[in-house]
Order: sequence, then structure tokens, then C-alpha cells
Amino acid sequence: MNLDFLALAQMAVSGGLMGMAYALVAYGFQLTHAAGKAVNFGQGELVMLGAFTGLSLSGCGLPYWAAVTGAMIAGALLGWFVERTAVRLALQQHNEGWVLLTIIVGLFWFSAAENIWGREDKPFPVPWPESALDFFGISVTWQELAVAAGALGMMTLIELARRYTMIGIAVQAVSADQDAAELCGIRSRTAISLSWAVSGIAAAFAGTIIGPVTTVGPTMAAALTLKAFSVAVVAGLGSSFGLLLVGVALGASENISGFLLGSGWREAPALILLIVGLALRPQGLFGKKIIRKV
Amino acid sequence: MLKTENLRAGYSGDDAVRGISIEVAEGSCVALVGANGAGKSTLVKALCGLIEPRGGKVLFGGKNIVGLPASEIARRGISLCPEGRHLFSPLTVEENLLLGAYPRLPSFGPFRRTASGDLRHIYEMFPRLAERRFQQAGSLSGGEQQMLALGRMLMARPRLMILDEPSMGLAPILVKEIFKTISSLRATGMTILLSEQFAKSALLVSDRAYIIERGSVVLEGTSASLAKNPAVMEAYLG
Repeated sequence: MNLDFLALAQMAVSGGLMGMAYALVAYGFQLTHAAGKAVNFGQGELVMLGAFTGLSLSGCGLPYWAAVTGAMIAGALLGWFVERTAVRLALQQHNEGWVLLTIIVGLFWFSAAENIWGREDKPFPVPWPESALDFFGISVTWQELAVAAGALGMMTLIELARRYTMIGIAVQAVSADQDAAELCGIRSRTAISLSWAVSGIAAAFAGTIIGPVTTVGPTMAAALTLKAFSVAVVAGLGSSFGLLLVGVALGASENISGFLLGSGWREAPALILLIVGLALRPQGLFGKKIIRKV
Repeated sequence: MLKTENLRAGYSGDDAVRGISIEVAEGSCVALVGANGAGKSTLVKALCGLIEPRGGKVLFGGKNIVGLPASEIARRGISLCPEGRHLFSPLTVEENLLLGAYPRLPSFGPFRRTASGDLRHIYEMFPRLAERRFQQAGSLSGGEQQMLALGRMLMARPRLMILDEPSMGLAPILVKEIFKTISSLRATGMTILLSEQFAKSALLVSDRAYIIERGSVVLEGTSASLAKNPAVMEAYLG
């Protein structure tokens, strides 16, 4: 019994640390939703492309940090590209076409990745040791710590920029009232593009911290979109803290269900959370606004 | 300073503004007087680029500004206080004021320090805003919100202020206060275009006025002469 409890706790902790990365991907949804009332249904593909870009760059002999930086630059460009191609026109015409268009652009990224990098999952080398630390019988790997610290750090950094730089406050103003922001001389389209670029950075960075844990392959995209979307729906898109909480809970529960019911059941909690969340509390646990019906 | 030539604008369907030509001279206060739905709001929105005019010209400082995005027109010096105020309600009072000066402030640097002089000026003018500077704008009372809307405009150091229905939804005592503020701004030499339902107060504070009905100018002249016109006073008692 004691051993079982310890095993469960072990699963919960490593899953929960991983869940912070889901929260980071979901945070990417929150950024674009706040600015332009749209989200990228191909966000998982951006995570995957970020991971592949990082992998290729470190394959070229670049040190890890340079590869991560390169992946983030690629993520910014990709996020910006998705907004320009799939979202802007639809929103200007006040229709919901962006839902389908972002999915289509995501499928395009998926095929492109299969053609460029192949279908096999590849390991992502990292500079930290393989060893684990021991906390009261629960082992935590350096890798897991890096995921948690990276996700937390990136979210904190973006939140600080949103609150304490003039450009961040201007982006918040565009979310609150786009016409009034324009009247203050804020170029609202630029602010929305910027949000998409930052969302792309978050996704690509998430790829470079998730990649070493899960290995990198084209199929990682769909699963991540689903998980991040579940987190976003359950938490609501109003609170970054809520995203973290739900992300950790999802990470822990999928690890535990994989452990108790078999690895085929790992993906179940995300789906169940999504369905229950939509049915019981469509505005999210921490949300004020209702996510657009999609 | 500002001149429209045969301006037409509207949303869907018929034009709400049917060929309006007005002129606002530098340093003057001009009023647009008309009932609800006469097309005043559509006209000022078209001036500021919030809706694109269907025809005609808007000349600001001699240049046609039709077709420019609203942010560009704002950067050229036209500041609109929209009907219903449109504050950034989740943001604080001070953030709202800072956003008024957005084009002048550094995007990443010490923007509060850059804006401190202007902020002090606004807080002297409206001490209530200073008391509530870190409160959410949405939590202010109606009168305080109107002060904040005016303050946010002034932060932009505009060349032309356009006020759309500044008295709307305010108690009579606050309406008086707002008009007092408008006339003191006018005394500083600010150019003002004021759209108002209350003909009496609007004509009292302005130099010239246009009476607007169903999207057209039906009467124009000095405010003093219009105020003496019995037809105007009968139609727009207030």
C-alpha cells in the first residue's frame, strides 16, 4: 500500500511537471484570443515545428541555447504567418472561417514536417544530466525540472511584458476595446500580429522543452493541440494561473491513468476533461468570457 | 483646420450622413446640434476613420485624410472622445491615461517617467482621477469616467478634440461640470468640435454651430445667432 501510494505520487509529480508545458501551449491560445478573439487550431503543429527546428539547429552543431533561440525566432515567424494567412481576412469579414483555415494551415505544416524530417520520432539531445534528484522517495529528473522551469519562466516573462511595458499595455487595450485603442493611435492590427508572433514563440519554445521528453515527430502535434485545448477550455481563457493549475492536473491525471489502466489510456483524461468541461462549465473554471462556439 | 466637403457615410443600407460640409477653424469651438439619430455620431466616426466615408473629402490641415486608418488620424492630432466614452475598463485609470499618450511613449523604456509631466497636469485638472489612479477604470462612477475620457484625450496633446455626446447619461450637475471643463479648454485655445443633443448648452459654449437633421445640415451660423433663432430653440429645447 505504501509502495503504491509512492508510485502514484511519483506518477503525479512527473506528470504534473510535464503538464506545465501543456499550460504553456494553452497560454498561446490565451494570448491570441485576448487580442483578436481567435485561436490557432494548429498550435500543436507550431510546437512540433519548433521542436524540429531546434533539433535541426543543434544537429548543425549549434549549442542548445542557440538552437532554442533559433526555434523561438522560427515560432514568431510562423505565428505571424498563420495570422496573416488564415485569420486576419476571416476576422475582418466577421466570420468564423479562421477555425477551418488554422486547421488547414496546421495540416500543411504536418505534411511539410513529414517530408522534411521524416515520420520517425527522433531524440532531442539536451545539455543537462540524465540523472534524477530524490525528494522524499520521489525522483525528479533534471529534464522534468527543465520543462517546469522553462514553461513557468516563459509564461512569467510574457505576463511581465504584457503588464509592465507600454506595448504590452497597448495590446491589453486592443483586447479591451479595439476602436478606442485605434483612437489612441495604437495600430491594432500590429498589436494582434504581435500577439500571434508571441503565441508562436511560446509554442516553439514549448516544443524545445517537450521534445527531449517525448522525442520529436510529426505526430506529437495532434496530441498536444488536444491537450492544450482541453486545458484552455477547462481553465477558461482569462487566467494564466488557472491554465497552470489545470495543466498540472491534466499532466498528473494522464500519467496516473496510464499507470493504472495501461498506456493506451494516457490520452483519455484530456478528452474526458474537454467533454466534461464543455458540458458543465463552458466559460471555464477561471474564465469570465465564453469561448466562441466552434 | 478641419474641413469636410460633401461627406457621405453610413453603415449598412442608406447613408446616415448625406453630403455634409462643415468647417472648424483653428482655435474655435464648433457645435453639431441635432436629435438622436440625426447622423452626428456617424459623422464624427467618419472624421476619425472609425468608419470609412462613402464619398466626399475630409481635409485636416489641408490634407485629405479619407481612407487613413483611425490610428493614423489620431497620430496626426485628431482626438475623439466617442459616445459612451469607451474606456479600457479592465485597465487602471493611470494605464488609460498613459494609453492616451501612446504614440509619444517608449514601447519598452521608462514610459511612466516620460509621461510624468502630462500625468501631473491631468491630475491637477481632475484631482479625483489622482485619488483613483490605480483603480480599474470600469469601477469609476459615470462622472469620473467622463473625466477620465477627457483626460485620456488630453494626454494625446491633440490639435483637434472631438467630443461626441459628452453629457450622455450624466446627472444634470455633472453635465454642468463637463461644460465648464469644455469652456475652460476652449479658453486655453484648444480647437473643439462638439456633438450634442442639448442645444442650449452646446450653443452657449461654442462659437459656431451646425444644426443637423436626417444626415444633412439644415442651418448654420454663429452660435449666438442660432441661439436667438426661435425655430432652433423650439426644435431643440434643452
